[in-house]
Amino acid sequence: MSAGVTVFRMVAGAAGLALLGQGVSLLRDVPGPGDVLVWLAGAVALHDALIAPLVLLIGRLLVRGGLRGPVRGALLVAGALTLVALPPLLRPGPRANPSVLPLDYPRNWLITLAAVAAVTVVYAAARAVRRARRRRMPAS
Amino acid sequence: MFRRGLPGGGMDVMRSRLLPPGFSGGLHDARTATVIGRWLGPAFAVCFVTGLISHVMQHPPGWLADGIPSRPVWGYRLTQGLHVASGIAAIPLLTAKLWAVYPRLFTWPPVRSVRHGLERLSVALLVAGAVFEVATGLLNIAQWYPWPFSFVPVHYAVAWLVTGALILHIAVKAPQIRDHWSRRSPGTLTLPAADGTDRRSLLTAVAAATGAVTLTTVGQSFTPLKDLALLAPRSPDHGPQGLPVNRTAAAAAVGTIRPERYRLTVTGPRSFTLTLDDLRTLPQHEARLPIACVEGWSKTAHWTGVRVADLLERANAPAHARVRVVSLQTRGGYRVSELGREHARDPLTLLALTLNGEELSPDHGYPVRLIAPNRPGALQTKWVGRLEVLS
Repeated sequence: MSAGVTVFRMVAGAAGLALLGQGVSLLRDVPGPGDVLVWLAGAVALHDALIAPLVLLIGRLLVRGGLRGPVRGALLVAGALTLVALPPLLRPGPRANPSVLPLDYPRNWLITLAAVAAVTVVYAAARAVRRARRRRMPAS
Repeated sequence: MFRRGLPGGGMDVMRSRLLPPGFSGGLHDARTATVIGRWLGPAFAVCFVTGLISHVMQHPPGWLADGIPSRPVWGYRLTQGLHVASGIAAIPLLTAKLWAVYPRLFTWPPVRSVRHGLERLSVALLVAGAVFEVATGLLNIAQWYPWPFSFVPVHYAVAWLVTGALILHIAVKAPQIRDHWSRRSPGTLTLPAADGTDRRSLLTAVAAATGAVTLTTVGQSFTPLKDLALLAPRSPDHGPQGLPVNRTAAAAAVGTIRPERYRLTVTGPRSFTLTLDDLRTLPQHEARLPIACVEGWSKTAHWTGVRVADLLERANAPAHARVRVVSLQTRGGYRVSELGREHARDPLTLLALTLNGEELSPDHGYPVRLIAPNRPGALQTKWVGRLEVLS
């Protein structure tokens, strides 16, 4: 390993530890730090024990079904849009005023999913056409 | 069964076995993790720096209180818009990154040495903090608070924790990052060449997902894209007088403010009191300034009113004086805000009487509100009843 990388690692490591320490010290001043720890651990548990296995399972089913490429991409984009849409879709209780979450989110969420599906179909069709042409016209 | 490096095999779990489970599918590799990390790192960096800016502007430490600039007028709008946009962009990036490195969770044996144990602990902190920050931020902009603690100080503290753990992580992984930096890096070349196409397809999808979540939310602050902001918690056009509101007059319990009973008190070396009619007869000035909320939405509006600098002049306030702005609201936070020297003397800092050509609506602070350039929306005090010249 070059000396440059070693120096970088030492400096970055020290800086990282310093910032970590600042974070811990700030957390100790927060009322109810125990609650924060529960939520931090909960974040990891939720991801590692639920979200990640679910995504991997869906991926496995996809590959078994022979679906990848654009379909995988479409699911990824749709999944990301859904994650971002979840708070406006699911937030319980009254809103502070009508300008908070003012849109028709179920409708908008479906519009985004439909747009993803449409783009995917167009993309896959264009790709199929391109491939078919290439097959008809072998390398000239 | 499947072969390794099968095109499109990136998302499958190959040999299923429990404890530790096996992942021989492609793309759970250092190259994929490095590329996504190269995008996620800058997103987190932007989020942290803009978050610090917001924190300092809302809680300036004593030595900085007078140093906060009042220009550019769009400063806070840009930084806080970036804060929320980079946090949202981090959602697909973080998900993809965690997917790519997930098999490492099941490293066997779990701890090989003290060093290895500490490294894994720092990664656990990084994952916990990163998911926590992104999730709490996303819920906060929807004003959803399912946790028992106070959002601002915890979100701020965990930001330091995550950034520290991230820098530490980069230090630990520096050799692997360097070995997988580009397509031709030595580490990348040792990976199955057949994975290359599949990896590009996956990374294109991750980039598309990042673009999609940005495009459908960023219009809440970047108004040219407001019609695409289908999933944003705020829409720049929704709200009284075409401007969103956070705390309403009812929530602030200001009651009905009768124009003939209203008084503005200015305390200082030469204190005085003005009626609403007095304020209306003083020289009126115009300003086009944004309301830029800490929750990420923002919109420019046209304001007219009296310059705070003119009132300070009349009160014989010293040139360097800071000013405390006190609201008539009886409930809720942000009843009082302070103007540093730069903001107090800025000719664009107004006690506004009108918004987009109309008298202020009660929810926008009737009869008088503060509007100043480069300032968090929460500090644009509404229903102003008193200005106090400080020192």
